Amino acid sequence: MTTNAPHTRHQRIEVMGTVVTVDLYGDGPLQTPEVDAAITEAEAVWHRADRTFSTWRADSPINRLRRGEIALGEAPSEVADVLDGCRLAKEVSGGWFDPWAMPGGVDPTGYVKGWAAACALEALRVPGVTGAMVNAAGDIASFGGVGGVAFRVGVVRPDAPEALACVVTLRGSIATSGDYLRGSHLRNPFTGEATTRVASASVTGPDLALADALATALAVGGDEVLARIERLEDYEALTIGLDGVRGWTTGFAFAETHNRTGTRTTQ
Amino acid sequence: MKRTPLVLASTVAGLTGVAVFHSTPQKVVLSALNATAATTPTTASAAPTPSAGATPTTSATTVTPTTTPTAAATPTTSATAAAVPSTTSTVVAASASRSATGPVVNYYYGQLSVKVTASGTKITGITIATLSDGGNPYSAYVDHASLPMLQREAMSAQSANIQGVSGASYTSAGFAQSLQGALSALKLK
Repeated sequence: MTTNAPHTRHQRIEVMGTVVTVDLYGDGPLQTPEVDAAITEAEAVWHRADRTFSTWRADSPINRLRRGEIALGEAPSEVADVLDGCRLAKEVSGGWFDPWAMPGGVDPTGYVKGWAAACALEALRVPGVTGAMVNAAGDIASFGGVGGVAFRVGVVRPDAPEALACVVTLRGSIATSGDYLRGSHLRNPFTGEATTRVASASVTGPDLALADALATALAVGGDEVLARIERLEDYEALTIGLDGVRGWTTGFAFAETHNRTGTRTTQ
Repeated sequence: MKRTPLVLASTVAGLTGVAVFHSTPQKVVLSALNATAATTPTTASAAPTPSAGATPTTSATTVTPTTTPTAAATPTTSATAAAVPSTTSTVVAASASRSATGPVVNYYYGQLSVKVTASGTKITGITIATLSDGGNPYSAYVDHASLPMLQREAMSAQSANIQGVSGASYTSAGFAQSLQGALSALKLK
């Protein structure tokens, strides 16, 4: 046991029009063949997911499925997995997350990024790595921690994104959705309108794919979805309203040192 | 002087009795949901209810660690302002506070370049130097949401004791590209 700084290793993956960062932590050196291979596999997972699910590539399996050129059984098996996950997310969210309500046929894009990050994370479970985070532009899948302590993750303040609204003790994953400004890309599945009810919606839980879908649902559905997540085992949520007012589920893991605004709960 | 972007809007003390969610005692378990649509009344692990209400985080200026503190009139050299994806980066000033603007790169909605300010080996600010988007409303979005993600990422190690940042964003590879250019110019990477 020493007080040495933990060993770290970082990797950037440019995929799906965004930047994914991989941060690894260990008690010993991480420049090993096992870790090299794990990172390579994590990258491959992302690129495979992009090829399969990109709605920008005309010949991607998801697009061919949407056009009815292939049946589900002819698509890579991940497509069925993802659609199953979407179905569950739709049910859990009470329909507020609904890839089937998108224009142009089923569009699992809102699920795929979290799903791919979760898959990439699995590739990083190799000897020597005691903590890992896959951060897909603000949606994070993780296991372990740093130096035996859970990761701490800041949640961006929607009205001032260079500042943080709070810090969360991370166990598993966290996803944040919201339209901070104009140009809403979130859609109310019931009306088809591009709207949101809160400025920022964060969801934590074991599976980033579901957390991501629920965060999208929460941003659009607001309190109704927050109540649903409250009843859901292992998942917690925080909303920040357009007026700055916050709501959260009872188990949301605020980290202690950032409760200055009186948003204290557990931890 | 440490410049943490961890500025919480703690000024507003007016505790509005707000939406603290009081739980119902029953939890939905996913595995059960997966099988049937049944809900299982398990756990209810007596999560302690938050005592205080939430505070609205209005106003409260946040310190944006941008531009050079030493008023040394660091001219952001033009050259990069033109929408030319040149690979050259421009280093301005030498001594304590320095800044560099990365190449203008294409991103999803247009073109942008990133400016980095550093003091010694510390990054003190990351801003967008140029942004052209043809009037696309996402530009504001990108400016306000995506950039800070990278800024946080680049600065977190030396400021707040956090390992990551979660936020809605449209981070584009373009940012990374231009940022890299600026960092290289400052010999920070």
